[in-house]
Amino acid sequence: MLRVEGLSVRQPATGRTLLSEVSFDVAPGESVAIVGESGSGKSLTARAVLGLLPAGLAASGLVEVGGRRVDDDPRAQRRQRGSTVSLLMQDPFTLLNPLRKAGKQIADGLPRGADPKTEVPRLLAEVGLPADVAGRYPFQLSGGMRQRVGLAAALAAAPRVLLADEPTTALDATTQREVLALIRRVQRERDMTFLLITHDLRLAFSMCDRVVVMYAGRVMEVGRAADLRREQRHPYTRALLAAEPPADRRLAAIPAVPGSVPAHDAVAGQCAFTDRCSLALAECRASVPPLRPAGDAGRLSACVRAGDLPAAPAPPLGVAAPVRTASEPVLDLRGLRKTFPGSARPALAGVSLTVAPGEIVAVVGESGSGKTTLARCVTGLERPDAGTILLGGRDCSDYARMSREAVRQARRTAQMIFQDPYSTLNPARTVGATLKEALVADGRPADVAALMELVGLDPALAALRPANLSGGERQRVAIARAVAGEPALLVCDEPVSALDVSVQAQVLGLLAGLRERLSTGMLFITHDLAVVRQLADRLYVLKAGECVESGPVDRVLDEPAHPYTRDLLASVPDGTSRWPG
Amino acid sequence: MKRTPISVWAALAVLAAVTAAAAFAPWLVPGATDQDLMTGITGPGPGHPLGTDDLGRDVLDLLIAGARTAVPGAFAVAAGSMLIGNLIGLTAGYFGGWADTLAMRWADLMFSLPALLVAIVVAGVLGGGYGLAIAVLVVLFAPTDTRVVRGAVLEQRHRPYIEAAVLKNLSAWRIMTRHIWPNIASVALANAFLNFAYALVSLSSLSFLGLGVAAGSPDWGRTLADNRTQLLANPWAVIAPGLAVIATAAALNIVGDWLHERVDRRGRAR
Repeated sequence: MLRVEGLSVRQPATGRTLLSEVSFDVAPGESVAIVGESGSGKSLTARAVLGLLPAGLAASGLVEVGGRRVDDDPRAQRRQRGSTVSLLMQDPFTLLNPLRKAGKQIADGLPRGADPKTEVPRLLAEVGLPADVAGRYPFQLSGGMRQRVGLAAALAAAPRVLLADEPTTALDATTQREVLALIRRVQRERDMTFLLITHDLRLAFSMCDRVVVMYAGRVMEVGRAADLRREQRHPYTRALLAAEPPADRRLAAIPAVPGSVPAHDAVAGQCAFTDRCSLALAECRASVPPLRPAGDAGRLSACVRAGDLPAAPAPPLGVAAPVRTASEPVLDLRGLRKTFPGSARPALAGVSLTVAPGEIVAVVGESGSGKTTLARCVTGLERPDAGTILLGGRDCSDYARMSREAVRQARRTAQMIFQDPYSTLNPARTVGATLKEALVADGRPADVAALMELVGLDPALAALRPANLSGGERQRVAIARAVAGEPALLVCDEPVSALDVSVQAQVLGLLAGLRERLSTGMLFITHDLAVVRQLADRLYVLKAGECVESGPVDRVLDEPAHPYTRDLLASVPDGTSRWPG
Repeated sequence: MKRTPISVWAALAVLAAVTAAAAFAPWLVPGATDQDLMTGITGPGPGHPLGTDDLGRDVLDLLIAGARTAVPGAFAVAAGSMLIGNLIGLTAGYFGGWADTLAMRWADLMFSLPALLVAIVVAGVLGGGYGLAIAVLVVLFAPTDTRVVRGAVLEQRHRPYIEAAVLKNLSAWRIMTRHIWPNIASVALANAFLNFAYALVSLSSLSFLGLGVAAGSPDWGRTLADNRTQLLANPWAVIAPGLAVIATAAALNIVGDWLHERVDRRGRAR
């Protein structure tokens, strides 16, 4: 149904190659996932298939849709776009035109002659939305509903191939599960060919028949989902899978791969993964290993050692730290309330929690649960309406009323790490200047090199500006800035959710190590229960500004009492075809 | 890095020539204002490439000497309004609240006044003079800087890197000048160049109206005004200073744009 052969994408202006020799095919009715971290070229592959490459990029190679070559004929490509191949995009908040009603946007895709009055309600019913959604504007719909409208619009022309580019990455975990279940049901009912682009290997295993793993612009491994899940024939696939933390058990340490995804040209002429691979041979650097059949039917691997990869030992299990019952908690919140002006519902409706010295306490919830507001209240970036915040025993409920000295004390007690690695550092200052300033502000000797080594960064990076660092490196710098004065409490607001899995594992390892070395207590805000299981000691589950369940991590996750906690737990992809249900 | 376009090179050449003229005029053309009433007004000819004016002064020499009055004055206006505007804009954008309201209403008030007209009235009432004209223009130009800078600050204000600086207990002054300003410098600079060009034209206009430099001083606007009645005798005495104002103002705009892009690209990946 869909065949891609020797697809390469280059940027002629700079001579850079972004994608080289990508080949795969998808049979009619089959579902295939392309999996990779950022920079792997997975989205570019999808765009090349649709003929939607960004300006300035040139593709070569062969793309066939329904047995027809389309890559050399822009008109053929246009004709098949929409009617034969449909695209479901990532961001539900920008994929719809904000000024047009949902029904109109669905009707746009209908084939000529179809009656919108009957077709639009039928499509809405198919994606599980009531018919009156057609008359609503996008801003009146939630993220999940918008993504369903996007799906209905993509289905309007009855495409034979559905291409979905990270369709649920921007959605909450429980919504993601519902939308994915819907996509799979629709795909099976319509017997559509399905190509899913995702960074999540487990999600790919659950959703698709076959999986293509990409790295630095090349295909690394191809195989049936079940086979690939059982046994990986490429060290990268293995590392990627291992780096995704499980939600059902705690590991002693998440196996992390050093480094980050290189640019295609930086690893030209050799196996792209060599530099990060613990099993590399001299042969791996000699040339680019071709994709060869390896083992079971349909399995291809680009590893020269695909046949004799040593068995990977199961990572050792870890134990949760015993619950700490210190006399004096480093953070003590009592009855915290906050309602934003103009909002009907409180962001925080009376939350109480404690963090003992050296303890990692997770606050879990979906968007709108108030978890970020909680973090910002603790550090004084927001002012709570009511309730007390005790930091190291001192009242810090209202930073505006505190003396200069008290504010300084509070700021040295609690520091914060933010989510987005791209805006967390001042783009105009070098890493060295940022860290030196932090050390001086915290009254420490300005030993930038030692601080950088503490967070596992090469001190040579001090001369660089953030733009020249990878996401993981930036987040390490942000962590270094926060721990410069060895604060007793580190407030982490989704510190790994914007990072690639392999980098996420590194940063989680770093945070766990810092807790040991500096005995820093942490308030860890996240939506990801798998991360909570690996890192945290205790857990509070927040829903609509209220704490619905709390307790030691292993107890809450093994025997969740509240239905909401059970929902959250069920929404973590487990890699089996039973999920998403 | 993108290649520098030819228009930018041309603009830089114009500015270099004007700057050189402004800096070295007393040595380049020591006798620019020497009158030679015997010669009177003549068209371009040997010894006088652009001819002479009705007092027998060489027009090219006057042009070179005129740069010394026209350009530093405009520069002072741009620099002065940039300093005032950036300080007020940073404060208003960073603190918000009543400081912001006060600054913005002040800017609104200034915007509602026609700048050149106010300058003419003030200079006329207080008796004119170059220094006064500059001071008036500084006050009138500062609100554009204030607005532009405030807008840029608001965009940066709630970025995590600023919040992280707040959490490090850095002083507001340090956050404003060392953290926010470098990130909005491209906008501030571009606006200063626009003001530079605008001030050049405004000061020339004031001089043309006799409210700027003293009579007899070499200045582009003044030369243009003095010779406009002699347009037919030596058109170059009128056209040349006009062209000098236009070329310099255009060059300032082009270079300002180019600098904006360059400074803006700093801090992004190469």
